[in-house]
Amino acid sequence: MLVMSAYKGVAQNAAKASVAIAINYFEANNSIPHLLVTAKSRVNGRFQPVGGIRLRLCLDKDSAGTAIATVVTSKKGEATAYIPPSVKNEWERSKTHTFLAIFDGDKKYEPANADLTVARAKMLISTSGKSITATVLQLKDTSWIPVKGVDVKIGVRRLGGDLPVNETPTFTTDSTGQASADFKRDNIPGDSKGNIVLVARVDDNDQFGNLSIETTVPWGAKTRFISDFDKRALFATRAKAPVWLIFMSGGIIVAVWATLILLVRNIFRIKKIGREAEPAVVQSNHRI
Amino acid sequence: MENSLKGEQIIQDLLPRKFKTGGKIWVGILSAFCLVGVYAYYRQLRYGLVVTNMRDYVSWGIYISNFVFFVAISLVGSLITAVFRLLGVKWGAPLTRIAEMIAVAAIIFASIIIIVDMGSPERFYNLFLYGRIQSPIIWDVIVITTYFFISLLLLYYPLLPDLKILLRFKEKYNPALYKFYSFLGSFWKGDHKQYLLSKKAIHALCVAIIPVAFTIHTVTSWLFATTYRPGWDSTNFGAYFIAGAFLVGAGAVVVAMYIFKTWYHMDKYITADHFDKMGRLLVLLSLLYLYFNVNEFLTPFFKMKESEASYLNDLFTGSFAPMFWFAIFTGIILPVIILLFKQGRRPLPMFIVGIMVVVGAWFKRYLIVTPTLLHPFMPMHDVPAAYRHYFPSWEEWAIAMASLAGTMLIITLLCRVFPVIPIQETLDENHEIVR
Repeated sequence: MLVMSAYKGVAQNAAKASVAIAINYFEANNSIPHLLVTAKSRVNGRFQPVGGIRLRLCLDKDSAGTAIATVVTSKKGEATAYIPPSVKNEWERSKTHTFLAIFDGDKKYEPANADLTVARAKMLISTSGKSITATVLQLKDTSWIPVKGVDVKIGVRRLGGDLPVNETPTFTTDSTGQASADFKRDNIPGDSKGNIVLVARVDDNDQFGNLSIETTVPWGAKTRFISDFDKRALFATRAKAPVWLIFMSGGIIVAVWATLILLVRNIFRIKKIGREAEPAVVQSNHRI
Repeated sequence: MENSLKGEQIIQDLLPRKFKTGGKIWVGILSAFCLVGVYAYYRQLRYGLVVTNMRDYVSWGIYISNFVFFVAISLVGSLITAVFRLLGVKWGAPLTRIAEMIAVAAIIFASIIIIVDMGSPERFYNLFLYGRIQSPIIWDVIVITTYFFISLLLLYYPLLPDLKILLRFKEKYNPALYKFYSFLGSFWKGDHKQYLLSKKAIHALCVAIIPVAFTIHTVTSWLFATTYRPGWDSTNFGAYFIAGAFLVGAGAVVVAMYIFKTWYHMDKYITADHFDKMGRLLVLLSLLYLYFNVNEFLTPFFKMKESEASYLNDLFTGSFAPMFWFAIFTGIILPVIILLFKQGRRPLPMFIVGIMVVVGAWFKRYLIVTPTLLHPFMPMHDVPAAYRHYFPSWEEWAIAMASLAGTMLIITLLCRVFPVIPIQETLDENHEIVR
C-alpha cells in the first residue's frame, strides 16, 4: 500500500507539465502602459498556448501594494493588464521597473514565474514638409534624455498593419534621439479630407519594450465613399431588383401563364362546343 | 365487326379496375408509412426542427435531397410525353399517362417536402410577401408552380376522350366516382371541333413544358451552384442535374411499366418491344449522365485545390466513398453494362435495372447535398463535435419515407381512377393498323 501511494505521488508529479511565461511591455502615444503576458507549454516537442491559468502580475516586488492585476490566460495563452492607478506611487518612485508574472501552479502545471525590466521612455513624432521625425527619449533623474541607436519603424496605418513610408524598413536614432524618414507614399488613399495616420514604433526593444506614437497628417488622397447599398443589384433588397431582371422574369412569367390561362379557357370552349353539339353527336356517335 | 369487337376488348382491358387484396394491402402499407410521417411531422411542428439532426453544418439534410430527387423524377413527364409526342415517337404513346402520373405525384411532394424543410409552415406566405426576384429560391417556387400546372393540364387534356369512354360504364363504378368522371369530362362528345381544340392545346402544352422542365431542374441546380461551396461551385450543374433527372425519370417509368404490365396483365399493350426501346433510351441517358459526372468530378480531382481536397477525399476514399461508388456503379455504370445486352432489356432485368437507377439516383441526391455542407471553406469554431457529422433522425427518416410512400400512393390512386394507358389513343392506333 505504501508502495502504491508512493507510486501515485510520483505519477501525479510526473504528469504535471512546466509552463513558460513571457511578459511584453507596451506604451502607445505616451499613454498608460499595458502588459501582455503569454503562457506556453511544450507538448510533443512543440510549444502550445496554455489557456485558463491564473497569473498574478506585480510591479517590482510581489506584495499586496504592488499588485497590478490577477489575470486568466485566454485560449491563445494570452492575458492583458493595464498599469492601474493603485501603483502610481511605486511607478513614480523609479526610472526603471521590473514586472513580475507569478503562476502558483495547478493540477496540470508546475508553478512558474517570469520578469521583465524596462526603463521608462517616451516617443515624439513631428513632421516638416513631407519629412517625418521620430524621437526616442529616456527618463533619467528628472529629465528626458535622447537615446541613440534605437531601431524605429515609421509607417502609415492601414487596415492590415503599418505600411513603411518609403523603401527603408527601419531607421536608427542619432545622438539627438531622432530618426527621420521622407514620405514617399503619395496618393495613398486617406479619408474624405485626405488624412492619414503616421506611426513611429519601437518593437521589442531590450531596454524599453514596445513604444509607439502616431499623428494625423493630410498627405493622403481624398477618397469619396460611394455606397452601393441603395442601388439596384442582384444582391440588393426586393425593391431594388435590377430593372432588366424584373422585365425579363416578368415577361417570361406573363407569357407562360397567359398561355396556360388560354389553355384553361380552351377547356371551357370545348365544354361549350360539347353542350351545343350534344343532340347531333348523340345521333351520329361514330367516334367512341 | 371484328374491328369493333377488338375495340371493345381493348376498352375492357384498359378500364381502371378495383383493387384486389394485393392492391388494398399495398395502399394500406403506403398509408401506414404516410401516417407515421404525419406523426413525425407533428413532432417537428411541436418541438421544432431540433427533432431533426440538422444543425449549423448540415442545414439542408435528407429533406432537400428528397426535394431534388422528386424534381428530378418529375422531369420524366416532359421527356416521355412532350419530347416523344413532338418527335412523333409512336411507341411511347402507351407510356405517356404513366409518365404524367409520376410527374404530377412527384412535383406535389417536391412542393410539400420544401414546406416541411422550412420548419415553420405558417410563415410560408412570407416567401410571397417578401421574396426577392433575384433569389433562385423564388425562381424555384415560381417554376415548380408552373410546372405542376402544366403537368396537370397535360394529364387532363388527353384524358378527355377516355373519360367519355369511362362514362359508358356507369354500372362498373360507384356513384361518387361516376359523378367525378361526369364532372371532369361529360362535355366531351368527340366532336371534330373539340378534337382540334384539344389537339392544339396538347401541342401547345408539349411545347411549353420542355423549357419549363429544363428551367425547373436548372433552377434547382442553381440553388446549389449559386452558393460558393466546395462541390457546388460548378458551371456544369444545370446540365448535370438535367441529365440525371432524365435518367431517374426514365428509370421510374420502367419500374412502373413492369408493375402495371404484371399487375394489370397488360402484356398486349406494354410489350417486350417497349422495354427494349426504353432499355436503349436508358443506356443513352446513363452514358450522358456518366459524361456529366466525369466532368463534375474529374477536373476538381485533377486540380485537387486545397479548399476542396477534404471534400473530394471524403467522397472518393473517405466516409462517403461507399455511398458515392455505390451510386455511381449501381445507378449509372452497371445499368449501361446490363442494358447493352439484348437479354438485359427483357422486362424483368429492365425492372431490376430501373430500381437500381432510382435507388442510385436517390443516394446521388443525398451526396450532392450533405458532404458539401460538412466541408465548408471556413470551418466553424466552437461547435459541438456532433455538428460535424450528419445522420438523419428517425423523424427525418419517417417524413422522407412518408413522402416517397405518398408519391407512390398518389400514383396508385390515379391508376385506380384513370386508365393507365390512354384508351382512345390505343383504339386510334389499332384502327390505323387495321386500315
